[in-house]
Amino acid sequence: MMKWVLFTPELYYVLMALVFFCLSLRIKSEPRKLYGYAIVMSALGLVVTLIFACQEGMLFFDAYRVDLFSQVFKVLLAAGTFLVIFCCSELKGIDERQHAEFYFLVAICTLGMMMLVSSVELLTIYVSIELSSYSLYLMVPMRRNTEMFAETGVKYFMIGVTASAFMLFGISYIFGVTHTTYIVEMMKVMPGVIKEPAAIIGIILALSGFFFKQALFPFHMWAPDVYQGSANQVTAYIATASKMAAAALVIRFVGFTGGGSPVFVNVLVALSVLSMSFGNLVAIIQKDLKRLLAYSSIAHAGYMMVGILSMSSRGYSTAIYYAIAYLVMNFAVFMVIMKIADDGHNLQIKELAGLHKRSPLLALTLMLGLFGLAGIPPTVGFTGKFLVFAAALEKGYLTLVVIGMINATISLYYYLIVIKAAYLLEPVRPYPAIRLDGWTKAMSIGLMILMVYLGLFPDQFVALTEAAARSLP
Amino acid sequence: MSTIVCLLVIMFIPDDRPKLVKQVSLFFSAVGLVLCLWLYHAYDVQKGGLQFVERILWVKSLGIYWFMAVDGINLPMLLLTAVVLFTGVLTMWDLELRVKEFFALMFLLVAGVYGVFLSMDLFWIFVWYDVSLFPMYPLIAIWGGTRKEYGAMKLTLYLLAGSALILPGILYLWVQGGAHTFDIFELQRIGFSPLVQKVAFVMLYLGFGILAAVWPFHTWSPVGHVAAPTAVSMIHAGVLMKLGAYGILRLAMTLCPEGLAYWSDFVALLATVGIVYGAFVGLAQTDLKYVIGYSSVSHMGMVGLGLSTMTVNGINGAVFQMFAHGVMTALFFSSVGYIYDRTHTKMIPDLGGLSNTMPIASAFFIVAAFAGIGVPCMASFWAELMVFVSAVKTFPVRGIFAVLGLVVSALFMLRVVQKTFYGERNERWAHIPDVTLFMATPRIILVGIIIFFGFFPRIILDVIQSAVVPFVAGL
Repeated sequence: MMKWVLFTPELYYVLMALVFFCLSLRIKSEPRKLYGYAIVMSALGLVVTLIFACQEGMLFFDAYRVDLFSQVFKVLLAAGTFLVIFCCSELKGIDERQHAEFYFLVAICTLGMMMLVSSVELLTIYVSIELSSYSLYLMVPMRRNTEMFAETGVKYFMIGVTASAFMLFGISYIFGVTHTTYIVEMMKVMPGVIKEPAAIIGIILALSGFFFKQALFPFHMWAPDVYQGSANQVTAYIATASKMAAAALVIRFVGFTGGGSPVFVNVLVALSVLSMSFGNLVAIIQKDLKRLLAYSSIAHAGYMMVGILSMSSRGYSTAIYYAIAYLVMNFAVFMVIMKIADDGHNLQIKELAGLHKRSPLLALTLMLGLFGLAGIPPTVGFTGKFLVFAAALEKGYLTLVVIGMINATISLYYYLIVIKAAYLLEPVRPYPAIRLDGWTKAMSIGLMILMVYLGLFPDQFVALTEAAARSLP
Repeated sequence: MSTIVCLLVIMFIPDDRPKLVKQVSLFFSAVGLVLCLWLYHAYDVQKGGLQFVERILWVKSLGIYWFMAVDGINLPMLLLTAVVLFTGVLTMWDLELRVKEFFALMFLLVAGVYGVFLSMDLFWIFVWYDVSLFPMYPLIAIWGGTRKEYGAMKLTLYLLAGSALILPGILYLWVQGGAHTFDIFELQRIGFSPLVQKVAFVMLYLGFGILAAVWPFHTWSPVGHVAAPTAVSMIHAGVLMKLGAYGILRLAMTLCPEGLAYWSDFVALLATVGIVYGAFVGLAQTDLKYVIGYSSVSHMGMVGLGLSTMTVNGINGAVFQMFAHGVMTALFFSSVGYIYDRTHTKMIPDLGGLSNTMPIASAFFIVAAFAGIGVPCMASFWAELMVFVSAVKTFPVRGIFAVLGLVVSALFMLRVVQKTFYGERNERWAHIPDVTLFMATPRIILVGIIIFFGFFPRIILDVIQSAVVPFVAGL
């Protein structure tokens, strides 16, 4: 009985999903009421996850591991879910009749990702990854004007399924080499077989499934279209929460290979460099803000990989820190997008013109968020990059770090273009004023303080992430 | 010491004041100036070394310290910053467009500058360095003049490309130090192997060198100066470029003395090319601000040359030159800013005979030009003298070329002065009133400083020397 306590956060999200499932059965739809329920439940979910953040233990025949690492990510996931639902007050991008389903799928997806960060057995990983993926496949085409964006849903689904197939194929190779599906067992066998081509191929194929979720080059094809094609809230969810889960899984999975194989490490280095350079270079020419963020997310997956491929405890902890940083910054930017485009259309960069007059607060939030993404102190993005690069240099990747910094400079160019639009350009025709309620104002001020605070006083958070990285098996 | 830190915090207050902004910012810049003067007075020259130290552990697992201190090298720089900020605020008194944002950004920039000068921890130096760079973009792009967006973007990208080299350099030293500390002096005690020093020196030198407008990475500088509004040009040329030279001295030279010994030929070469090139290109310009921009390239070359000699006199001269050039360029830009505000042109052929209509405004520019040439009794005379004496000793050929560069720069300065201010009276500008006493105040302060230190160079040299002598002994 005691063991079920460990599972409470997940159970809570099952409950939340059930509630919204029942609500979705009703014919009449009341968006305001549903929003109220959703926000209360997701806030409670965050509280529940926080309460159980210090649990440790194993569940389900040792296939499910609850440790500080998984709990930190669960808190992040719950926070991400809460933040996204918080911004759903104007869920105009999705048909009113489908709002209940939307919340239902968000809850299920969060559940899947929470299971994902705790799984330490390959099949459990596969089941949870599919659980979260399928809810996302459904959420993406939920947008109004589906005809325009139908391609998006199909594309996402097809690429996702292909990635799953690769992953299963890889898992079968790993199983063939190590004769186990438990990661703990594998770690014992791995050092002996890591030089075998079959093991390397298996690991890389299995990882490609996770890289797909993380949108690392060359598994990024879906990202720009999906970011652009899905409703703003769904995009925000994919960009923040879903990225978190994928990052956690990659850290755990790369961790158990232990860096014994130079080929494998070199592949990761190459992927990281390509991902950073490709993402940043293509982002330069984008006109649609969400598309631009999609390419920047590809680049950021590369930065995170820099920390992960150091294969040291510091590397993992800095990657976790970077993930936290990325969540906060990215969410700040998306919140601005959702509030400006409150009728649910896709925001073009030129529409930002004159934002500093329409809403100085949002403009400032946007600027801090983008400076964070570009890695400019004193924001959290800078500290994240600094830590990640420090970890990589400790392992001697000097060239990689120089490439990373050059990329950071490139990225600054397109972030500056966005900031220029918000602060310098005057709009061609006047845009309507932006309505902000008190909660949103509080949220944007809170996010700004958080971005600067995390950036300037990282001590406790670094200690937390290091403890989390130590708790990895 | 903590007062300075307090000051940094207070500086952010003008953010929320509505119309009072100008008075408030003037007040705080004055407070900053007074504090720096007090610090200057309280600094014990006999004792030397680090004084007013503040050192708190910041991030334990990485060994980052909040480490601020004053020594003979950064003290003149602090004074320079305070002076230029104060006069800069006065110069921008007529600003009307988005006043609050302008002063907030300017103070943020200066907070970053103070931070770089005061910090003795690699992490914080880098943080403050970037803090001082990014406000430049909006400052130039919103309030700037000629080709402002191009200039702003070019400047920002160049400078951040520089920091893209500095950050790996810093981290590389941190890893190689092995003691997990970002404290400069602990790292210095540990010391590095020659190979590490050579690699790290290049990264840090090029990274900071971009900001110090070392040839061939100077192209952002004239464009940026031309595009920026007056006070920003003043701070930028007067103070921000010094950050680069200061970074080279504080980080690259302190931590990698052998790296410098290995590369000093190269450094001296780039510096000499910068001096000569800046002077010759300056000769061909027709825009007053471009002229000053290129003369800055030339003068910053002298700083680099002084540093590369690795002698007491050379470094003394270089630090003094940083100070003198800072004040001088501030004066230059401030007087050109005034002329431009009134005549709406800064093209030399359009002007001419200005000394007839605005004798006082012209006088300021002419004083600055003389200071630039290195006329005796001006602060830069002593600085340039010291640099050249030690440069000719260490690198005879380059030293002589540098002196020749100075002659060319004298030529172009005098040419500009002659064409702009003398010659026939231009009727177009006849109706323009001369500088009022209030508008003249900042320029008078700057002129006063130039002449004061021209007559009493010892006052500042003693301070600089108290840090440079042990520094050179440690090389």
